[in-house]
Amino acid sequence: MTAPARRCFEDIQVGEEYESPGRTVTEADIVLFAGLSGDYNVLHTDAEFMKSSIFGERIAHGLLGLAMQAGLLTRATQAYATLAFVGLRWKFRGPIKIGDTIRLRARVAAKQETDKPDRGLVTLERRVVNQRGEVVQEGETDLLVERRSGR
Amino acid sequence: MAEPARFYFEDVVLHGVLETPAMTVTEAHVALYAGLSHDEPLEPGAVPDILPLCLTVGLGWRVPQPPLAVLAFMGFEWNARAPVRIGDTIHSRSRTAMKRAMREGGVVIEERQVINQRGEVVHDGKFTFLVARRPSA
Repeated sequence: MTAPARRCFEDIQVGEEYESPGRTVTEADIVLFAGLSGDYNVLHTDAEFMKSSIFGERIAHGLLGLAMQAGLLTRATQAYATLAFVGLRWKFRGPIKIGDTIRLRARVAAKQETDKPDRGLVTLERRVVNQRGEVVQEGETDLLVERRSGR
Repeated sequence: MAEPARFYFEDVVLHGVLETPAMTVTEAHVALYAGLSHDEPLEPGAVPDILPLCLTVGLGWRVPQPPLAVLAFMGFEWNARAPVRIGDTIHSRSRTAMKRAMREGGVVIEERQVINQRGEVVHDGKFTFLVARRPSA
């Protein structure tokens, strides 16, 4: 079996856009994330306390939304020949509530050659939108992607 | 019933440093994370890039200080400096870089490093939180 082709730096064009399928965020997702991360903040775990908060109910961890959009990217486009994750800049714009359906909209914002001929830097702009089209999270991620020419 | 202790904007000390306990990142963490997020590590034995960050947030609750009264996690910047592998033991060190009072609470910027068992900084970045003021008695 051959592995699915991964896209190299040369294959990726600035301005390409990807949209993922939707994913409904459930109570189970939030409980699992609290257990995995150890973040049991009342915002995510105390339904009674949150009734009187500005949100009116429990909300998903911001980092759960970040983790889910990373997973959604894998379902939005063919994988890149990624060598390393370099960094990100991220803003949380609004809450993700139980039952909300989020999807990822991403766009290749920039490509940059590096000192090493076998790799280049790809910056993706990412927006996480809910079922009402509201942007709940957004930011940019930088990835080092393999260059065919440097092989 | 007494309210649980919380660390309010007034309590935040500029340049204050907090160090968390450490945790060994296991295959089980990676499997649970991959199942939950559908985000995969880049290669076998590697830890997905967002997972150490998630684990250090939880470690941040295990310090000898009441939890910060966060109204909103506004955003952050994050850099990967070195790979994290299954079996590595990580902890985090954070320092309050800025605090600014606002009409509703205050903004706190925290610098955070994730450090492995060899003392190497593997990830680092800056977090911005909106923190509640102490309620008037």
